[in-house]
Amino acid sequence: MRACWKQLKAFFNAEEVPRWFGLSLVLSYLFGLGSVAYLGITKTRELALQEYESSCRYAVTAMVSRLREIDGTASIRQLSRQHVLYEFAAHMNVDTLRLVDGNRQVIASIHESEIGQTFVDEFSTMSWPQSVNFASMYSDVLGKPVSVIRAPVHMSVVTAQVDTSTDESPSMTRTRHAATDEETPTTSWLDIHLIPSEHSTSMIYNHADTVIVVLVVLGVLFVIYHRLRVQMRSVMRIGDRLYSNHSRIEENLNMLRIHDASDTMTNAWNELIDLTQTCSQAADKYKANDELAGVLKRSQGGALADALHSISDGILYIADAEQIQYINAHAQRLLGMTWDEQKGQSLQHLSLTGMGEKIREMVESTQTSEGVYVSRSEIIKDGQPEDEEASSYRVSIQPMRKSAAGHGCVITMRDVSQQLRTDRAREDFVTQVTHELRTPLTNIRAYAETLSSGMFDDPKVITECYNVITKETRRLSRLIEDILSVSQLEVGSIAININDVDIKSLVSDSARDVRGLADEKNIDLQVIVPAKLEMISADRDKLSVVLNNLLGNAIKYTPSDGVVVITCQQSDDAVMITVKDNGIGVAPKDHARIFEKFQRADDPDVHSITGTGIGLYTAREVVRRHGGEITIMSEKGNGSTFVVKLPHQVGRATAMSITKELSHD
Amino acid sequence: MIRILLAEDEPHIMRIMHMWLERHGYEVFDSANGAIALARLRQEPVDLLITDMNMPEMDGLHLVRAVRDELKLTIPIIFLSARCDQAELMQQLAGLNVNLRAKPFTPSRLVDDISRLLGDQPSLARSECTE
Repeated sequence: MRACWKQLKAFFNAEEVPRWFGLSLVLSYLFGLGSVAYLGITKTRELALQEYESSCRYAVTAMVSRLREIDGTASIRQLSRQHVLYEFAAHMNVDTLRLVDGNRQVIASIHESEIGQTFVDEFSTMSWPQSVNFASMYSDVLGKPVSVIRAPVHMSVVTAQVDTSTDESPSMTRTRHAATDEETPTTSWLDIHLIPSEHSTSMIYNHADTVIVVLVVLGVLFVIYHRLRVQMRSVMRIGDRLYSNHSRIEENLNMLRIHDASDTMTNAWNELIDLTQTCSQAADKYKANDELAGVLKRSQGGALADALHSISDGILYIADAEQIQYINAHAQRLLGMTWDEQKGQSLQHLSLTGMGEKIREMVESTQTSEGVYVSRSEIIKDGQPEDEEASSYRVSIQPMRKSAAGHGCVITMRDVSQQLRTDRAREDFVTQVTHELRTPLTNIRAYAETLSSGMFDDPKVITECYNVITKETRRLSRLIEDILSVSQLEVGSIAININDVDIKSLVSDSARDVRGLADEKNIDLQVIVPAKLEMISADRDKLSVVLNNLLGNAIKYTPSDGVVVITCQQSDDAVMITVKDNGIGVAPKDHARIFEKFQRADDPDVHSITGTGIGLYTAREVVRRHGGEITIMSEKGNGSTFVVKLPHQVGRATAMSITKELSHD
Repeated sequence: MIRILLAEDEPHIMRIMHMWLERHGYEVFDSANGAIALARLRQEPVDLLITDMNMPEMDGLHLVRAVRDELKLTIPIIFLSARCDQAELMQQLAGLNVNLRAKPFTPSRLVDDISRLLGDQPSLARSECTE
């Protein structure tokens, strides 16, 4: 029983109940309640009526017996009957009450106008009963059901003779009646029409009506409500979730998942959320891809693209499978390819040679097994290792964070040829310089030791030693000055102190300084200056360095018994100092080079003579600072002529433009 | 008399070495570069060779190679170089059995070296780049 009840309850409370069942349940429930209500009402009515009938019957019986007992004169009888009828009517709440004789004549009635009339009504056709008879009939006249009671009354009724004499005194009549009455036993009928007034029985069953109706309605409402709630539970759960999390949906769809139930609708909802999340993530990914593509697209055209294409470094950005995401103009040139933006080109599949191939090799060698790149920087030469003219590039690989395009890296290519050349030249210079420095030092040391050893007491030898020491010391100090000027020139910190300079004396002083060197090699050193020479604004010390360098070179690179001539000329705007020798000369191809830092002519004869490669560089820089210029005329094996042109005034504008030029070197 | 051949392009150095060695009783021959030195060696033998690195025509390295490989001479060689710190040079001289000395040097030291190399005294380490 309990199980049955449980089952029923479960079924009643089930989440999903077939629709027809729910509906029929409700309908049958309603129907049941309706029937009960109806039956209830009817029953109550019947009972009420029955009760009323029985009380009526009792009253009628009593009335009938009292009517029979009435005695006396005709008028008394009349009055008494009337009285009984009135009593009954008041008690029983009737509409019509009359006493009718065999001829259908009304003997007594509560409606006094009926007395003496012949009684005919709609119920008259009924056969008169033998005993008290109750009937409920519908009266057309009245328009409502009527309870009719017929009861036979056996009474003695004296037939009254109507005296037509005019003399009608009550006493006379009475006497007459009394004298002439004949007693005839006769049967009359009591005709009672009961019309229940509105408030007699209706009160009873009206209440019952209301209560039952209310109960039914409540019951129905409850059922409907309960069923709805049950059906809506899943939906409400979803609704709750949405309400509480609607502001945070974008952050995390997970918030909308329902964890504490697993009916069909909840599961479907959760699946929907999961699907939405997946879609959202996929969309994000595509969006990122799109954005990246968009950025790259935008960067293709526009200021950024122009800027990237015009910088002197090569930029190459590759992603998964060496797919080229971007490559600027310079890099395209270096790799020897043109990039078709629309086509997706992979570094793997391009046919590259030379530099391009080397770069690709380098890129591929940095890739780990997971496809990630490692950072690396190498110098790659665009050509054979021995090739002096080939450019060298510093190729740097920098991995990128994982993006929509996968693991990528950016490769930059910077031309470091000049830097390498300078570095190498500086290295050579330092090596050379130290070597150069060591030579005079060795001499000084050796000769100093010789002197101190006292091994040689020949005065000539001793003098020789001192001379060598002095000369070498001077040589050393000159060398150091040279090195210093070079580094100063590089920094740009050389200062030109402008004064009035007498070129004539400058030239003769310089010649005197180098005469010793010239004499050693038996070189004829000639000085030719005009009688009158104007002063110029210059830095005397720096200019003397220039002349010493030029003269020193001339002597150095001229074999013994040669000739070196230094001359001086003046024109309108400038002074020209010329140093001419008949030494080994400089091939035209080296004319520019010999003026560069640490560079000497590419000539074995030159190499065999010690030199640092900075003399001419220093000289030119100083001359340029003065607003002048040095030029060379020379051929290999045919001596050299150097011309120094100096303006009279070192103007400020000139100095400025010189500074700019220097910075380009 | 012990014969020593000098190969040096710097005249002052040459002169001082010459003076010192002669003073110590050696017979000294000068050659201004490697080629002259080699030619001389071909003609007459010497007991010791002192050579500089940087010389025109033929530098010290080539000279020493020629002496060892071509002339197959086993005479002691003193190699003077201002570039003693070059590992490359030392590598190149590795198999040639020379005594490497740094410049600047002191003549007295040089003389000691020579006497050790030629005499009974134990010689210094082969390639010693010391003062």
